Amino acid sequence: MNDLLVVEGLQQIFGGRDRTHAVDGVSFRIPAEPTIISLVGESGSGKSTIARIILGLLHPTAGRVLYEGTDIFTRDRKWNRKFRGEVQAVFQDPYSVYNPVYKADRVLKLVIRKFGLAKTKAEAEMLMDEALRAVDLRPEEVLGRHPHQLSGGQRQRLMLARVYLMRPRLIIADEPVSMIDAGMRASFLNILLDFRETHGISTLFITHDLSTAMYLGGEIIVLYQGRIMERGQTRGVMDDPQHPYAQLLISSIPTPDPRRRWEEDLSAGPLAEAGAGISSGRDRCLFAERCPAVMEKCWGARPHLQAVDVDDAAETSRHVACYLYS
Amino acid sequence: MPALLEIRGLSAGLQGRRSVTQVVSNVDLDVHAGEILGIVGESGCGKSTLATAIMRLLVPPQVLQSGSMTLRPGDGKAYDLLDLPENELRQLRWRHLSYIPQGSMNSLNPVLRVGRQMTDTLIQHGLSQDEAQERSIAALELVNLEPRLTDSYPHELSGGMRQRVIIASAVSMRPALIVADELTTALDVVTQRQILQELAGIRDELGATILIITHDMGVVAQIADRVAVMYAGKIAELGRVNGLFEAPLHPYSQGLIGSIPRGGGQRVQGLPGEAPSPWNYPNGCRFHPRCPHVFAPCSEQAPALLSPGNGRWTACHLYDPEVASNE
Repeated sequence: MNDLLVVEGLQQIFGGRDRTHAVDGVSFRIPAEPTIISLVGESGSGKSTIARIILGLLHPTAGRVLYEGTDIFTRDRKWNRKFRGEVQAVFQDPYSVYNPVYKADRVLKLVIRKFGLAKTKAEAEMLMDEALRAVDLRPEEVLGRHPHQLSGGQRQRLMLARVYLMRPRLIIADEPVSMIDAGMRASFLNILLDFRETHGISTLFITHDLSTAMYLGGEIIVLYQGRIMERGQTRGVMDDPQHPYAQLLISSIPTPDPRRRWEEDLSAGPLAEAGAGISSGRDRCLFAERCPAVMEKCWGARPHLQAVDVDDAAETSRHVACYLYS
Repeated sequence: MPALLEIRGLSAGLQGRRSVTQVVSNVDLDVHAGEILGIVGESGCGKSTLATAIMRLLVPPQVLQSGSMTLRPGDGKAYDLLDLPENELRQLRWRHLSYIPQGSMNSLNPVLRVGRQMTDTLIQHGLSQDEAQERSIAALELVNLEPRLTDSYPHELSGGMRQRVIIASAVSMRPALIVADELTTALDVVTQRQILQELAGIRDELGATILIITHDMGVVAQIADRVAVMYAGKIAELGRVNGLFEAPLHPYSQGLIGSIPRGGGQRVQGLPGEAPSPWNYPNGCRFHPRCPHVFAPCSEQAPALLSPGNGRWTACHLYDPEVASNE
């Protein structure tokens, strides 16, 4: 089966004198069958830039994005319209996506009108009703209200109702739960899981919060300074990360369980912060200066992603960009 | 031993044209010397208002309505925080009581070197230039920053480093109590872990007491000794972290802990409904409209914060023998 989306050698360089390599040679694919893929990384890892490129909001410096085999930047008007309908975005800030002077349900009405989803008013109302119920909103909670009268969780779910109306094949969700309350987070994530299971909608879930990625399962891609360090099945990577960066990242999750506290005290260690020593070029492992297992070789050339066998034989998709495994 | 900070019946709100809308209602809390106490709750639960009230830094329209707060910083004296005149309060802050407000890593003055900003505060508290310099450097070392950083400007530092400078500044007078509001919220997980571990180190080294305000249950579980769960301006439950996370008593804490996404493919349900805003706090128990265990008295009578033993406290009629026996 052909892949739904293919990202090939994506590179995004910003700025003039101090050039920033926001995305540096990233390739991955989203299969045609419904999946959830989490793109995780710290700030500056390039995850949001990748989302913006896939949505067609940003032209990459190099590389390409293929949707059903067609390059998203060389497309005609008709194709463009289809792509816009089939790939939907949910952004981080549930406050800024709404126009405060209009009622919140306008986001649903506009979609119904622009994409001709309903013939009559009654049909439109039925559709809206169904979409709201699909995201656990009671229609009377949101219809006729202005955005400021809704909570962040309600606004974010209303965006999902809009997405639901479109029945896209792929949702690009960029930090969708980072601004909504803990109690509401699980319900939002459950909707994404339902979308995949019942409606065959895939999600590319972009987050800095590894616990939400863990909850969603599926596959995970760990980014660091614009490059993929490790990828594989989420559960496998979380339980048994191979790349030293993935190990550091995953062991630093503040697990909400006081019996499983952080073991090693990192506070007195080498100043382990991204970007602490960007100076010595990029043809090397970018994690070298923070890596506890650093070798001579790591400074010499960029390690490429390659398949690595892990203990769990059922997991066949693990790839790691680290000389420890070559 | 009396508590380091004793809060009794504290209420604070927002002054409107005609009346005050209460945000924090009747909070009783003892903060013990040397502990890390986490205050958790969702946005709008009043946790930051409580922190600001403790610092007596509420600004209009925020008003302090009633209550008392006594600080015993270990110098043999007891300070009535609500009764102190502003000039004495200013001396008390930073010396005995320091505050790291939310987003403070972005509050450094961009045109002054970091060292100058740290020493300025200390000089205000009567230290000489040399003493202030020495103290600043010692404080930077506590958070694993190099002394040469005093010559940097804030924009030359990463977010994590700026947050460390703020922490160093807050502990440079070796205060008895540090109140930190959403200390690591904007930081990456690895940096967050390092800073929280540094904070725990500061507690051990200086014997300080730390009050952490956060929305993140993970942060509390990792470094707090005790936790107070706030809901709609009140403390719903208070206890040691292990017990509270293992077997939360209050239905709200149960929902909050139960809705944490975990791995392993098991689905969790979110808390149904929305938290009320101060303008429409329900009567009786403020959680009752969302509570799965709601029964008759919940909508009429506000539950008191009672202890069923083991240092646990909860404000829920389910655990009040008097209410339960009437049913």
